[in-house]
Amino acid sequence: MTRHALAAPRCACLVLFTAAGFAYSLVMLISVTLVVPFPAAAAGQQRLVALARRLARGWTGIDVPDVSRTPPPLPQRRADGWYAHGVTLYRSPRTARWMSAIDHYGNDPAAAVEWRWLTLAPFTCAVPVLLPPALIAAGLLALRAGPWGWLAAGGAVTAALLVAPTSLRWYGRSTRVLLQERARPARTGWISRAWTATWRLGGLAGLHLAGLGVALLTFVTTVVSWGGLLLAVTTLTRPVTEMYRRQAHRWTGVALPSPYRPLPPPPVPDEDGTYRIGRTLYAEPGTAAGLQRHRWVSHDPATWRDQLWAWGALVWAPLTLLPALLICAGFFGLVWQPITWAPWAVPIGLFTGHWITPFYLWHALVHGGVVPAGIPGWTSVPAGLLLALLGLALAAPLTRARIRWDALLLRPTTATVLAGRVEQLSTRRADTADAAADELRRIERDLHDGAQARLVAVGLGLGAVARLLETDPVRARQLLTQAQETSATALAELRDLVRGIHPPVLAERGLTAAVRAIALDTPLPVVVETDLPGRLDPAVESAVYFAVCETLANAARIAATVTLTMHHRDGLLRMVVTDDGPGGADPSAGTGLRGIMRRLSAFDGTLTLHSPTGGPTVVIMEVPCALSSPKTSTS
Amino acid sequence: MRVVLAEDLHLLRDGLALLLESHGFTITAAVADGPSLRDALTRHRPDVAVVDVRLPPTFTDEGLQIALEARRATPGLPILVLSAHVEQLYARELLTDGAGAVGYLLKDRVLNGDQFADAVRRVAAGGTAMDPQVIAKLLNAGGANTPLSRLTPREREVLELMAQGRSNAAIAQRLFLSDSAISKHIAAVFAKLGLPISDDDNRRVMAVLAFLNAS
Repeated sequence: MTRHALAAPRCACLVLFTAAGFAYSLVMLISVTLVVPFPAAAAGQQRLVALARRLARGWTGIDVPDVSRTPPPLPQRRADGWYAHGVTLYRSPRTARWMSAIDHYGNDPAAAVEWRWLTLAPFTCAVPVLLPPALIAAGLLALRAGPWGWLAAGGAVTAALLVAPTSLRWYGRSTRVLLQERARPARTGWISRAWTATWRLGGLAGLHLAGLGVALLTFVTTVVSWGGLLLAVTTLTRPVTEMYRRQAHRWTGVALPSPYRPLPPPPVPDEDGTYRIGRTLYAEPGTAAGLQRHRWVSHDPATWRDQLWAWGALVWAPLTLLPALLICAGFFGLVWQPITWAPWAVPIGLFTGHWITPFYLWHALVHGGVVPAGIPGWTSVPAGLLLALLGLALAAPLTRARIRWDALLLRPTTATVLAGRVEQLSTRRADTADAAADELRRIERDLHDGAQARLVAVGLGLGAVARLLETDPVRARQLLTQAQETSATALAELRDLVRGIHPPVLAERGLTAAVRAIALDTPLPVVVETDLPGRLDPAVESAVYFAVCETLANAARIAATVTLTMHHRDGLLRMVVTDDGPGGADPSAGTGLRGIMRRLSAFDGTLTLHSPTGGPTVVIMEVPCALSSPKTSTS
Repeated sequence: MRVVLAEDLHLLRDGLALLLESHGFTITAAVADGPSLRDALTRHRPDVAVVDVRLPPTFTDEGLQIALEARRATPGLPILVLSAHVEQLYARELLTDGAGAVGYLLKDRVLNGDQFADAVRRVAAGGTAMDPQVIAKLLNAGGANTPLSRLTPREREVLELMAQGRSNAAIAQRLFLSDSAISKHIAAVFAKLGLPISDDDNRRVMAVLAFLNAS
């Protein structure tokens, strides 16, 4: 009874709630347009829909599941007092917080679904719950009609009370359906692939046109300023071309690496105190640096290749926009317009008495002389479909043609690649030499302060023993014990030192056994799978060994089990360390991973860290190296 | 008791020979490399062999390999392996055959002559002598949810000493406890690890080592 009595007012509340929700969906639209209030509005929408879910669960008995969410991450204060969001630093925590909130709410996949619910609920979910309040209202109105009205009112209210729980259930069901995020099946067919390719191609054409715009700007500015402003305008225009490179890589999978030369180091004065730039000597370091940067841009072939590429947009942009245009005109124009004719043309016809033909666009084309007169209007549907199919068919070959043009001009030239490689190798050589020197200094210090000093002490003690042997045998015995203890300590220190330089088990057994030995010494279960039929170069072996040590030590701090695989295929040693820790590891946070990277990079090795929040963390280390045939045993 | 000694460093070899002879052992052969060790083991059939892990000509784990090979040929051939460093990996390899009469010690242990001679005698008699460092590592392996984590600190201490190869009497003396208290602790340890208890010291130690080796 109470259930029925409560259900009707609840229905009325839900009607009002959905109406308020609809109003809020408009607020959301406005705040998305204005950007600034978006995070606050999105947070409000989350709270509002969370309330809607709670109400639906509590009042209708239908299980509308909650969505678990995390609040937007709070920017952390850096040591220098700034706040970072992405790669940009902000003075005020507010701005950084706002930026991260925009990202957070903007990337929330549930936000769109919830907004859809707010917009649609008054017209869908609210319909069944509107019935009981409407019945009661009708009953109240009927009261005025005298004694029969009383009877009608009683009937209406009873019906309202009876139907209210069912109405609530329907509200709950429809809310659950609307708030459910359905996983979209992956689309792999020919048409859907061509469809995606078409719009991406259109997007690339747009970016290419933007490139043409900045090329035009570069041309005009450079000509007007006699080349003086080339440096300034290039710093503005390169990001546009770079954006194209990134998008083209993302959309077509063809990598277009950045071809620009690195900024040269500041000029160094010659012996006579002047700065040489090209064939001229300059006295002022400022002028020299400016000219040097100017030469850095103007002597870089990539600057001019960029320009040439951008002018290509005159041909390529129209050509690669063609599929998108064909689909727009064919499908959205000639096919879609007749299909959707009824909902908009019938009301217009009824109200104005002016009936628009279903093949409106086709007739416009006939009128414009594009299509010969006399062909019936319905042909627009097959013709439109044909045009759209033609557009889809053109998408893939045009993408290939475009990317060939891009690769021709946007990629670095062989000379640039080699120059970059030389640069990289000299940096690595310097790093490696530094690391080796540091290591030697550490060893020297350890030996000097440790074993060496202790051996001196042992020698002194033994000298004293020789003197005391006759006169004070008791004291001599004490000194002997002491000398023995000191030598034991020296031994232990030497053992630790040796382990840090080159672990004995690595020298004795090779990498596989050494890795198994570390796995045994790690205080958690480590599954080791290795497949190394031979020995590696000793230097590589040592670097890889210490890299594995460090990685396992990192994993052991946070995980319960670790898996390590080590394989050698096609001249590449690949190690994968997977742990079941909480994830979220940041390579820039610790010196450990950077140390490993430095160790491996001396051999052109790489380290990739994949650590999503919630785990698992996967560290992949790859080192190109040769595998010698297994060492033959002497037995 | 006849001993074959294999150590490549001349000074250390002579020192070890001197030490063992002063404790009543007879050195039948003192060799400096792998092939001659293999030769000496087959020719002299010693009561115990004291072998350095790293030997010429390869200077890798030659000594250990020959020791393992000899024990495969003659199960239970008493061998005490010495090394400048200890590895769980090698200890596990030595223990795998479960035959006993095996030792694995740091070279530092020769500094205490009496204890070292005791260890050699124990191995010769079919017992074991494992370095405390190896045992500590074996006890730490495997993580938190092993039967080992259920032991009390005192039981762990007893287990550690037992795994090193010490007799009940030696453990009692070391921990300042009575023999019966030690027996009680050992019974508790065996119950917690699910091992069958035995009266024989050596067999008990082997059971413990086999358990640690498997974990």
